[in-house]
Amino acid sequence: MKEAAVITVPSNPQYLSVIRAVTAAMAELYGMADKVVEELKLAVDEACANVIRHAYGGDTSQTIIVKFILKRGFEVVIEDNGVKAKPELIAGRDLGEVRPGGLGIHFITRAFDVFAFDGRKRKGNRLRLIRHRREDNEDRDRRQ
Amino acid sequence: MKIEIADNKGMRVIAISGDIDMYTSPELRKELMHLVQKKITPLYVDFRGVSYIDSSGIATFVEGLKGMMGYGGKMKLVCIPERIMEIFSFAKLDKVFEIHGTMSDAVNS
Repeated sequence: MKEAAVITVPSNPQYLSVIRAVTAAMAELYGMADKVVEELKLAVDEACANVIRHAYGGDTSQTIIVKFILKRGFEVVIEDNGVKAKPELIAGRDLGEVRPGGLGIHFITRAFDVFAFDGRKRKGNRLRLIRHRREDNEDRDRRQ
Repeated sequence: MKIEIADNKGMRVIAISGDIDMYTSPELRKELMHLVQKKITPLYVDFRGVSYIDSSGIATFVEGLKGMMGYGGKMKLVCIPERIMEIFSFAKLDKVFEIHGTMSDAVNS
């Protein structure tokens, strides 16, 4: 049986700490190692910050829905009703380049194996992030 | 996040504690850029109490460093916790910033 939790928060940066706390708790529940919990927390924070910044253009009166699904992987679905993202234009900066910005997408794709927008959502965005269990001993199952 | 700025025997130290994220980084940016405008050098940034940093926090320090480079200033990051250091390393910024394990190392460098 899959396990899930859903939180709905205002599109206000002050709620990013709430999103991080829930992400960390769910990742721990899934049995992720501490290092991976930190990576997942940072990645989900960055994805939600992008929603506030780009989809809502800084409007703090909207909402963000974050769903956590613990099944065969650690899945996070982030939904908004803002401006449609253009996945083809999403690119991080060259890590060898020193300038502010452009790091968030690197943090997201480092933590998650799947980074995909669901094109079926008519208004806004539905971003699906999945971290599969890896065999490099980073993902420790604490429930065993 | 809390920011404390101390002037210790002519050394300007900005000590940060708590989470640096999209919500708190504007306040940090304001304090940091104020010191940069005053052309403070060297500027010591004490990371001992920092529990979290995201890309907006990193961007704030990159902007501050670039501002300081304009007048030959030095920013020295001190006592960075391991989990924060890992983020600087991943972003390949551990070679860009001057980073020290202790305040005395930073002062004597």
